[in-house]
Amino acid sequence: MDFSIRAANVEDCKDIARMIMELAEYEKMADHVKVTQRDLEQDGFSKNPFFHGIIAEVPEQHKTKEGHTKIGYALYFYSYSSFKGRAIYMEDLYVMPEFRGKGIGKALMSKVAQLGLAAGCNQLSFTVLDRNKSSLEFYLSQGCFDITANMGYHCMRCEGEALEHLAQP
Amino acid sequence: MNFKIRAATKEDCKDISRMIMELAAYVKAPDQVKISHEELQGDGFCQNPFFECLVAEVPEEQKSKEGFTVVGYAFYFYTYSTWKGPTVYLEDLYVMPEFRGNGIGTGLLSKVAEVAKKKKQCVHLHLSVLDWNTPSRDFYAAKGAQDLTVTEGIHVLRFDGQNLDNLANEAPKD
Repeated sequence: MDFSIRAANVEDCKDIARMIMELAEYEKMADHVKVTQRDLEQDGFSKNPFFHGIIAEVPEQHKTKEGHTKIGYALYFYSYSSFKGRAIYMEDLYVMPEFRGKGIGKALMSKVAQLGLAAGCNQLSFTVLDRNKSSLEFYLSQGCFDITANMGYHCMRCEGEALEHLAQP
Repeated sequence: MNFKIRAATKEDCKDISRMIMELAAYVKAPDQVKISHEELQGDGFCQNPFFECLVAEVPEEQKSKEGFTVVGYAFYFYTYSTWKGPTVYLEDLYVMPEFRGNGIGTGLLSKVAEVAKKKKQCVHLHLSVLDWNTPSRDFYAAKGAQDLTVTEGIHVLRFDGQNLDNLANEAPKD
């Protein structure tokens, strides 16, 4: 199937917001999504963006039932390892179900890797839920390393009241 | 014990580098540190820095055995949750062993949370900790951090070295 990968622009935020919800529904966490299209426009396309995006698009003749041609995305930002230096973090990778199995996810992820290397990064990291067996299998088949399973890395998060309390001067 | 928490300057990078090495030894990865204090200077103190850093300083009269007054650091950068918005990632939090138990770690952690909230309206603070590092896990749990690997099954995956090169080589041509 014909598809193209390109950098996201501010006009893509409507489709990105739509696909973020689809990804959240896939992970059974749709009620956790608070970010809106407007937030994405401000946070991703202002002077010091929090993230960058890549969109996968198909030609008109392959559009979905609802008429979408933007059918996948990856969202990433630059991070840093105090041991290894510049790194890149892939926050989301998503392809609409009817377009899977065609190399689009791989193309999106490869593009993130390529952009990372071009920026001097030497690590690409991301997370996956352990119950998401198909995604885990896909990523491992591409040659990545599960540092939680192999090295015992645990992700921790402070939010809500706990974070408010910590942030008090 | 008297101590002060302040934003790191370029000149602190030698001390930060020293303490990164100490942290690496503590997490049993002493040979894993590949970057120098010059790289930290370049990446942390340029126009679009990759990270920010706070240091903890004690007065001269309380300096370490080897004569250091910069005795702890917190290394962090801004990240994004597509569900919740701006977030902050605490890459390192370290206090030299002889200065622990004096509230310096808490001071550094709190300052990161305060700065991230004020500057970027961050709604989450994330970090990673190794499963065998019980003192650190207990420290963060006592501050209200949840272990998402335990509660939600989150795993961190990584591409580096040859695997990263291979992946990048397969990117579609523009």
